[in-house]
Amino acid sequence: MDMGSDRTAFLTQMVEISTSTISFGERLGNLVHLLARHLRIDLALYFGLDKSKEVLTLQVSSQGPVPVSGRLEFRLGQGVVGEAAATRQIRLAYRYQEGVLAANAGLEKLLPEYQTLAAFPVADDNFLYGVLLLADHRERTFSVAERQTIHLVTLMLASTVRQALLQEDSKKRIAELSVLFEVGKALSATMELDELLERVVSTTAKVITARGAALHIVDRVTGQTKVSSQYGQVPPQICPIMPAAPVAAAPMEPPFLQGQTRDAEGRTHYYLIVPLTFKGQLEGSLCVFDKISPEGEFQPFDPENRQLLFTMAGLIVNALENALTYQQVESLAERNERMVHNLTALQEISRALLTTVQRERLLEILLQGLIHPQGLGFDRAVVLMVDEPSQTLQGVKGAQRLPEDQFPPLSEALTQPPVHSLAVSDWQIPLRPDCGSLALAVLQQRSFHVHHREPGTLAPLSQHFTAQEFFIAPMVVKDRATGVILVDNQASGRPLEPEPLHVLQMLATQAALVLENARLYSTIEANNRELMLIRERMLESDRLAALSSLASGMAHEIRNPLVSIGGFARRIGKLVDKDSPLRGYVEVIQEEVSRLEKLLKEILDFTGENLSYFGDHDLDQILEDTLILVQRDLDAHNIKVVKELAPLPRLHCDDRQLKQVFYNLFTNARQAMSQGGTLTVRTYTVEREDGLYAAAEVSDTGGGIPLEVLHNIFNPFFSTKDYGTGLGLSIAQRIVSRHYGQIEVKNELGKGVTFIVTLPIAKYCLVKDAGRGAAPAGALHVPTGGR
Amino acid sequence: MKKILVADDEMAIRLLYSEELKEEGYEVYTASNGKEALEIVEKVPLDLVILDIKMPVMDGIEALRQIKERYPHLPVVLSTAYGEYKQDFATWASDEYLVKSSDLEDLRATVKRYLKD
Repeated sequence: MDMGSDRTAFLTQMVEISTSTISFGERLGNLVHLLARHLRIDLALYFGLDKSKEVLTLQVSSQGPVPVSGRLEFRLGQGVVGEAAATRQIRLAYRYQEGVLAANAGLEKLLPEYQTLAAFPVADDNFLYGVLLLADHRERTFSVAERQTIHLVTLMLASTVRQALLQEDSKKRIAELSVLFEVGKALSATMELDELLERVVSTTAKVITARGAALHIVDRVTGQTKVSSQYGQVPPQICPIMPAAPVAAAPMEPPFLQGQTRDAEGRTHYYLIVPLTFKGQLEGSLCVFDKISPEGEFQPFDPENRQLLFTMAGLIVNALENALTYQQVESLAERNERMVHNLTALQEISRALLTTVQRERLLEILLQGLIHPQGLGFDRAVVLMVDEPSQTLQGVKGAQRLPEDQFPPLSEALTQPPVHSLAVSDWQIPLRPDCGSLALAVLQQRSFHVHHREPGTLAPLSQHFTAQEFFIAPMVVKDRATGVILVDNQASGRPLEPEPLHVLQMLATQAALVLENARLYSTIEANNRELMLIRERMLESDRLAALSSLASGMAHEIRNPLVSIGGFARRIGKLVDKDSPLRGYVEVIQEEVSRLEKLLKEILDFTGENLSYFGDHDLDQILEDTLILVQRDLDAHNIKVVKELAPLPRLHCDDRQLKQVFYNLFTNARQAMSQGGTLTVRTYTVEREDGLYAAAEVSDTGGGIPLEVLHNIFNPFFSTKDYGTGLGLSIAQRIVSRHYGQIEVKNELGKGVTFIVTLPIAKYCLVKDAGRGAAPAGALHVPTGGR
Repeated sequence: MKKILVADDEMAIRLLYSEELKEEGYEVYTASNGKEALEIVEKVPLDLVILDIKMPVMDGIEALRQIKERYPHLPVVLSTAYGEYKQDFATWASDEYLVKSSDLEDLRATVKRYLKD
């Protein structure tokens, strides 16, 4: 067989082996075996360089599997194998050479009496993977062709080993990645943080084939343990080391703390700890312990374990930070939601408050909003307002809700008064600094949140109101506290949350404003009413003036013909015989005319008042003058007159009209006392808030006015008398009104009647304050008391 | 025979008053307004003048003023349907103020008081 084709066949075989799908170990064995056969060499061995790059270990032999017991190693530089590795050069050695036997001692066992040793480095352009050693019984050399063949084989070996290493590496990476994938999946799963950390810890232990793992996270500032999770029983010796890891870890990349301890039974435990570093104030450590070898022994952790643990630590930090952020976001969202709820309630209540200017309704809306579950949801709420004149805080309105209460939706509830009101009208707190929080809230214009009632905080109220925790918000308008709102959750025992209290303070400001507006509005309304009244009265007096001028014009027109008719009737009467029936007819004409004339006179007296003559007069004198007019009449009816006249300032008045008033009153009194009696006339001054008044009382002993007609006495044309028009009191009242005075009636059934005429003394305020002094018939004070 | 002037724009009143006064034995002249009344006062030596207040052409108040200017001693009685001016008659310098009434007793009594001698 020629050499060339033999070599070609060999190389073909070699290529086939190195590209085959059999395992790397077998491939190496086959390559080495085939080479030995091809070169007719006794023994071919492959020594692999270990990871430490210092020891070359026998891995493959052309004679078959390498027994575990026949482990053969060479250090770098030791023997031909070590030298070839160290120099990356071919080394040839012969038995006869000095020191060869000693240097290559282990080989004697494998090939006794060897003569030749040839070591070839197995390497590619970058790395040295091992050494190929050829041994033979003969002393032999290698031709150039052989050397070339061997070189090719070493390249194939290098490539195979490299592939094997790469594959091993890949497998490891894949395994690691799949673990990390699992962990990552777990970390991003939507499970509770505690459960998740437990899973991470156990996975970490399993990946590193450790007996157990532990996670410990503390708050750096407070020292408080935030998270503590473990898988497997942590050996007690390791426990105290963990918290120190963040500080004690070796300053390497990655940082770690590694070591071993011995337990009471003499067993050695290994541990590996990496620190966890968070962005915030948290810190902690992740620990694995007792790495278990395939044989079940505890063994130390290697750098790969460190790298993996470090990666896991990073994942945990990430996951925790995410979780914490999420928790924060969630709590923020929750707070936000509560705030939105409260602000919605506030808006709803505010809107309702703008629908009315009635104080009562405003208070109802406010209280309903405070206790409604969709509102601010307090158990109780009380509004107290400052009473300026008495310098006290007065209970105005209060409401509470009971557990069984069913509430309609807020918007609807705000249109109704609260179901359960609190009786607070007798709450009265002096505005002094020693009178508890309610007074202080007004005086200092600030809120009070009392958590545990101390004695005295509600001292003036203790009999009305007890609560352990309560809140007081002042109602401030234009830098003035107008009142306070008091709330509590005493009944349900819930704590007062900050959000509703915050909203309450905003609401208190608005409430203060709308209540102040309501107050101003009601003042305006009162003024407006007064103005309307004055206007009405002016219109009425205009109407009356028009009416009276019309009536007086008509009355005058009627009077002339009446005089003629009556006058001629009288003349006819004188001409007619006494016995003639005409006489009766004429008398009827005369009497009817007389009656008409009398009626005319009364109507003219009533309507003719616009012709008035004001001057300064003495009321006592007016009374005296008028008494003279009726004196004879009174004497004739056996009526005694009692005068109690006090000196009075002069009045600006029409004395003739006032005489008419008292004339009418005296005449009434006289008529009431047909069987005799006493007429008492008194005068005195009355101090009222709008000025000084003169009062004149006219009392009779005529038994009083029957209740059923009392309300009618000022009605024009009403009369209990059988004669007259009944205009007397009506005229009197009208005249007094024109003087911006009042007539009051005190009726004592069985005794008599007192008419009290009050007239303002200050003259120039009259026109300005016209609306006040005037007494329209409807507003007339007519007490109906009596016996 | 005493001479009386009755001035009133109402014919019926003039007739009633003059019938009544003639019956009492007086000589009665009549006028339907203040101007006519003044003309008669100028012509006739009168003893009493009765003037209505509200009259056309010249009212009773003006006629009163002019009569009193020339004949301050001639008594003048105002007779009117307006009772409410009664308080002011003195300022108008009249001697008497009578509110018209179908009962002429007041009129007769007043006239008698001024013309008794």
